[in-house]
Amino acid sequence: MSPKTNTDLLGRPLTADERELLDLYGRLRTLSARTDLPPVATANVKQAMVLLWNACNDLALMYEEPGCD
Amino acid sequence: MSATESPYWNPKTETLPKDQLRALQLVKLQRLVARAYEQSPFHRRLYDKACVRPEQVKTLDDIRRLPFMTREDWMANQAEKPLFGDLITRPESDAIRYHLTSGTSGRQPLRVLDGRKDWSWITDMWCYGFWGFGIRPTDKVFFAFSYGSFIGFWGAHYCTEKLGCLTLASGNMTTEQRVKQIVEMGVTVVCATPTYALRMGQTAEKMGIDLRKDGKVRRVIVSGEPAGSIPAVKKMIEEMWGGKCGDTAGMTEIGTIMIFECDHQPGGPHIIEDHFIEEVLDPDTGNPVPYGERGERVVTSFGRGFIPLIRYRTKDLVCKVPHTRCTCGRTGDVYEGGILGRVDDMKLIRGTNVYPRAVEAVVREHHEVEEFQIVITRVDNVQDEITVKVELKPDQQDCWPRLHAQLGKDLADAHEGLRFNVELCKQGELPRFELKAKRLQDLRPQY
Ligand SMILES: [Zn+2]
Repeated sequence: MSPKTNTDLLGRPLTADERELLDLYGRLRTLSARTDLPPVATANVKQAMVLLWNACNDLALMYEEPGCD
Repeated sequence: MSATESPYWNPKTETLPKDQLRALQLVKLQRLVARAYEQSPFHRRLYDKACVRPEQVKTLDDIRRLPFMTREDWMANQAEKPLFGDLITRPESDAIRYHLTSGTSGRQPLRVLDGRKDWSWITDMWCYGFWGFGIRPTDKVFFAFSYGSFIGFWGAHYCTEKLGCLTLASGNMTTEQRVKQIVEMGVTVVCATPTYALRMGQTAEKMGIDLRKDGKVRRVIVSGEPAGSIPAVKKMIEEMWGGKCGDTAGMTEIGTIMIFECDHQPGGPHIIEDHFIEEVLDPDTGNPVPYGERGERVVTSFGRGFIPLIRYRTKDLVCKVPHTRCTCGRTGDVYEGGILGRVDDMKLIRGTNVYPRAVEAVVREHHEVEEFQIVITRVDNVQDEITVKVELKPDQQDCWPRLHAQLGKDLADAHEGLRFNVELCKQGELPRFELKAKRLQDLRPQY
């Protein structure tokens, strides 16, 4: 996923809501990759990241490798 | 419109005009094929052998350049490289779940692994279906399901949690306990196989419970058997429960459902086309069949990360009709009559796969048997029965009481406990064959 993307997979401009979902996903993904957080944060952030991935993926905002977390 | 008023789980993609849906599928297909080629040695070998490269997929029709993936290849790959073969794209340590296909005699079950995102996706596919059939956060959903290594309704359970429904798991309950809880808790949605939905209904009658009056069930969601799309079966279920019955279908190889009936019920389930490409092909030639003709389902799934599933031959028999058959507004096409059966000789009996050859292998262990026949029937439109008719050698007639019991046990042991009826025939009663024998009679109605 490119954080700078302005369109969805169909080439439509992203709406403000879609942009926010993608932004949230990007931030959670960065956070979930950290290794210095306590388990309580890492595990729960990963779960949250996965759910945001689902929303962005289903809305055709991106198509990112599903196995990767 | 508030979220709960939307008739669609995902309005944006469920109602996409067909050309845009195709464009979306192409983007996903290209990335999926590239990923499979890079990360799954199994797929790389498959494509190298067929002299095809990911960048040759330029249009959706180019999917036909890609070789098929078969269950046999998958099983052989697992056997060569235990436990999972080399088609998984991630290290085993990334997985959070392990499931198995229902095994058959003489065949290893397929072992599948999934990661976090895979399970979230699996859950979401059920959400498309449950939401589309009218399930909402205010519902109380009961799962008549054993929660074991078979994937079954696992994803549906997480789906109703995600939707915010009250979710009732009934793993080890008896049928009577289940019926009691459904009534006591005011359950509004029941999920089961069609056979078991009927059995619960019959049990309720014996318990003196009128589910239509005493219960609050408004939806019965069935899965796991082709009977779920047979109108006569649905009618029986609806009359027993007093709620609408909707069909879904999936497979362990996919991990979830790929088709579901919407609230409009146009005579078959919709395909979730933003997540799957479902081709319908002539099983012999591999060429596409037009709308309205029966063929074999060949599925490509965009959702699973661990296991790329591209042009997987399901051997399911289906008949695709255009989405315009339904008035709900979804643009996913419809499988008229759901899954119609199997294109090969595998028989699905009450959820267990039975191969005539495997039955023969068991029967032939008993030398007293001279000839046999397998007869499959459907009782009351729902319950499938399998009977092995046996003719003994003339000098072995005395062994019948012992053999009768032993054969029944051996057949069940080889088929996950499936009950077989075993019957004795008179001398010369069963047909004899030259060259290819036809020992199987499937007398179930064909829909
Ligand atoms: Zn519809």
